[in-house]
Amino acid sequence: MCGIAGYFDKSGNAEAPVGATVLNMLRALGCRGPDSAGVALYREQSDGDLVLQVKLGENGRSQERAEEIVGKVSVLSQARNVSTTGSYLRLSLEEPADPGALGATIESVGSDVEVVSMGRRLEIVKQVGSPDRLEETFRISAVRGSHGIGHTRMSTESKVDLSHSQPFWAHGCPDLAIVHNGHITNYHKLRRRYEQKGTRFYTENDSEIIGVYVADEMRRRNSLEEALAAALVDLDGSFSCLVGTADAMGYVKDPFAHKPLLVAETEQFAVAGTEEVAFRAAFDDSLEVREAGAREFRVWRN
Amino acid sequence: MAELSCDGRTTRDINAEIRRLVAAGEAVTVRSPGARHNLAVALLERGEVVFEGSVGYYCAGLMDGAAVRVRGSAGWGLAESMLSGEVVVEGSAGNSAGAAIRGGTVVVLGDSGARTGVSMKNGVILVTGSCGYMSGFMGQGGKLIVCGDAAEALGDSMYETVCFVGGRIADLGNDAVVVESTDEDKEFLDAALARYVPSSLRPNLPDGGGFRKVVAGRKLWNFDKAEWRTWEEAL
Repeated sequence: MCGIAGYFDKSGNAEAPVGATVLNMLRALGCRGPDSAGVALYREQSDGDLVLQVKLGENGRSQERAEEIVGKVSVLSQARNVSTTGSYLRLSLEEPADPGALGATIESVGSDVEVVSMGRRLEIVKQVGSPDRLEETFRISAVRGSHGIGHTRMSTESKVDLSHSQPFWAHGCPDLAIVHNGHITNYHKLRRRYEQKGTRFYTENDSEIIGVYVADEMRRRNSLEEALAAALVDLDGSFSCLVGTADAMGYVKDPFAHKPLLVAETEQFAVAGTEEVAFRAAFDDSLEVREAGAREFRVWRN
Repeated sequence: MAELSCDGRTTRDINAEIRRLVAAGEAVTVRSPGARHNLAVALLERGEVVFEGSVGYYCAGLMDGAAVRVRGSAGWGLAESMLSGEVVVEGSAGNSAGAAIRGGTVVVLGDSGARTGVSMKNGVILVTGSCGYMSGFMGQGGKLIVCGDAAEALGDSMYETVCFVGGRIADLGNDAVVVESTDEDKEFLDAALARYVPSSLRPNLPDGGGFRKVVAGRKLWNFDKAEWRTWEEAL
């Protein structure tokens, strides 16, 4: 099961109601995944800053940890717009020369501290519970931006907590996020390969490999389209995935069409989601949807 | 003629109401279906039901005898395991439309997804658009008519289902072969098109003579050690 949803404004409008749209779609898909919910939303940030969403860990000393992280970050770059919501610390800063070192510095505060997202446009919030609870905590319906993807999770193979929820940010690759419905059956083999190259995995969730894989392919091929085409060869199992980058959203469906994914497009926007019920909840009845085919992939870009 | 709105009702309640109205001899119009799942499942009496909008998974599944029309799209498993009756979808259908039907007719006036007609035993499926990956898979009987293109692996591992394709066949599945259509086939296709396809769509579709016929090559019906390579590939 699991439900995924994505919305992309094609008109270049950076003020589209992406938060409300993705939330409405996720609410309709909520029964496919009651364990957790999350969104990756892309919007203009002030001053071209890098924005970080950081999980403060499970030891209950959130405020202390937030201060410690801000202190460590300030050595690298001036932290701005610091705030805490739920289990998260949000802050923005001028992009440092090495974003990877920034992540490592923050995560050195505790083994349960994780940079959940980093990007010039991307922000991820996710947590255990329903889309309604996500809205209660983060007020995502108020977020306006250019595009966004979301997920409701029914866990089948790994534990239910914040870090194992989706979307997954591809650690170390600013702005790249994925959501996945399905199972990657060659996960362990791929994971071993990446671990040998030094990649750190944060969860036991097979979907995490997709972000790592797409980031790696995009570094080598410099194209999201080619990365998605390569995924059809290298990833085994069932998958309907949505991928977001700073200026694009794409989808890919596995060679056997194991998992549902519907798409719809108008001149103004493109939208993808697991079931039509999500489209009917967020758009009027005139929007025609169709089931994406096996091996189908597509990218929308502004 | 009776009307029923789905707003604020459970699916169980909607289906009970549809069954009650059909049993009372009413033609039923269902408003605001909102693409929800399991609508008109196990409708076991003759009657007419129209959904004014899209339906979700398994619409009209396990049905016996009614005529159901969907003024919108349908999700996965449309009319799954239907015994008899007629289901017409004016939009597109998701994966496994007409899966395992034992009779009746499923008409999709648009595209249908992967595994259309999987394991169908009898009956007719007519798709005016294209059908997805592995359609007709393991079909045991009945006819699958696709006016547009068929995606990869058409008719894989079939028994006695017959597929007719008006457009391009991306590739044939294991043991599927193209054979000559007979005059009887052409008559059957012309009659099916005339009966189920609105005249506005007809000019864009082939006539009965414009279809290719795909059946099982019967190589996988009985295991033969001498044909091990064929089996290796098929499995």
